[in-house]
Amino acid sequence: MTLQAVLTLSAMLFALGLVTFVSKRNSIAILMGVEMVLNAAALNFVAFSYYTPSKAAQLDGQVFAIFIILLAAAEAVVALGIALAVYKQYRHVRADELVQLNG
Amino acid sequence: MAETIFFYIFGGIVLGAASLVAFSTNLLRAAFTLFFVLFGMAGLYVMLGGDFIGMVQIMVYAGGINVLLIFGTMLTGDIAKPEVSNLSFQGVLTFVAGVSFMSLLLAVLERTTWPLLDQPSMAPTTADIGRLLLKEYVLPFEVISFLLVAAMVGAIMVVLKSVEKP
Repeated sequence: MTLQAVLTLSAMLFALGLVTFVSKRNSIAILMGVEMVLNAAALNFVAFSYYTPSKAAQLDGQVFAIFIILLAAAEAVVALGIALAVYKQYRHVRADELVQLNG
Repeated sequence: MAETIFFYIFGGIVLGAASLVAFSTNLLRAAFTLFFVLFGMAGLYVMLGGDFIGMVQIMVYAGGINVLLIFGTMLTGDIAKPEVSNLSFQGVLTFVAGVSFMSLLLAVLERTTWPLLDQPSMAPTTADIGRLLLKEYVLPFEVISFLLVAAMVGAIMVVLKSVEKP
């Protein structure tokens, strides 16, 4: 296991998340893609803090990964709230059909 | 040697489950497959010397966010029609975009050399992370906790204020 291998895995996961959140029709599936992208970024942070840590504090990268996880939690809560509100109004959450701004 | 084997196991779980999430047409199946992505990532974190963050990943992501996602799927999705609940549109274009973006990242990765440590440390990290969070990073920590409260209250308000159509 080298840094190159971990970064390759994270690039692949990022690309899969990108494909998911660009191509899916359902809002919840888009949210899943965003979670995969955030996970790939956090994996990069942890890998760098393991293989090439900063001189001052070795665990900087892991602290940033914790912040990423917490931000993902906040984002998931808000996005699911919006999805439920949209579902109450329109009876679907298909992202390509939600085109009204002030419905 | 064992490290390499476990890396391939966890990496295979992550990538296989992620491609199922990306290309499956059943939304509920995708939501449950996301569990495997998150658990595989937790295993990779532990292998990279992050014992505490692996546990945080399991508790917050797999135990919190993914359960929320499954709730959302069941409350909103067209899961009565599983074969069309998670369709993609413009699938070929996005596939091309994803593959080209990944090739760009891999090309950059190929050309870069990193200043590697000789012997990365596998020491327990919980005490050091706690010290960092309460000394160097105390302001971002407080901001994040305030943001979490604001997001929670905001989500509750959004759902309560939305009108139910007859």
